[in-house]
Amino acid sequence: MKAIPNHRYPRMPYLFLIAGLLCLLAGSYLGLFVAPPEHYMGDVQRIMYVHVPTAWNWMLAVIFAFLSAVAYLFTGNIKWDARAEAALEVSSLLALMLCCQGSIWAKPTWGVWWDWDPRLTSVAVLLFAFLGVIALRNAVDDPVKRATWGAVTTIIASVDLPIVYFSVKWWNSLHQLQSSPATVSKSFHLPLRLNAFAILFLMTGFIMLRARIASRRLAHELTEPPIEVAGELA
Amino acid sequence: MSGGYITNGWPWVWAAYGVTAFLLTTYAVSLFVRLKKDRPE
Repeated sequence: MKAIPNHRYPRMPYLFLIAGLLCLLAGSYLGLFVAPPEHYMGDVQRIMYVHVPTAWNWMLAVIFAFLSAVAYLFTGNIKWDARAEAALEVSSLLALMLCCQGSIWAKPTWGVWWDWDPRLTSVAVLLFAFLGVIALRNAVDDPVKRATWGAVTTIIASVDLPIVYFSVKWWNSLHQLQSSPATVSKSFHLPLRLNAFAILFLMTGFIMLRARIASRRLAHELTEPPIEVAGELA
Repeated sequence: MSGGYITNGWPWVWAAYGVTAFLLTTYAVSLFVRLKKDRPE
């Protein structure tokens, strides 16, 4: 296991958070007050300007958690464990946001808050799988065992991500297919893109700050004398 | 709903944006609290 490096750019996460907040304010203003209502869904469609960017960035966070877990297993460098821990927590936050926004959209459009449709179910499975990994990590005191077990379970849980993505194509899903710039009106593009960058910047800032918290704890744990030696010294 | 068009959608929109803002703000506050608590001396 290798040591944790110092943070080279201490203000970088705060810059991401400020940029994310500004983009979110601008994108939400355009989405709420400037973009026209959609032909059938009316004003309810404005939920898309936060729901779709949340979904895209949630997938990115899960991919980052997966890659960090793989990188830890290959390199043994503990900084990748700190990054995986951060990505696990932030992706769970985004998944929770996604489910709440989706439910609020589903009620007026589908008539129900929740449906056990393949897309919704696979997202819920991944959310609870990641919460399980977080719980497992919290139950293990040894940092090396925690990192290894956390990495393996993160990789296993991440297998669900392709299922989430392709669920609307593989099965007869109530959830609509993925949209593309060709299938979305041009008047919707700017708020959607601004909010996509907003959530991306916020997610990056959150992961960097959360990884910093994990790094500090790991540095403390790895420099602590073993319990037996500490007892003898006392 | 009226003729396939969903009417009176604003309360749903505000609810979705409100939940989003609440979760993002709560998480940001929790991060700052944890960072302050764990700050090295």
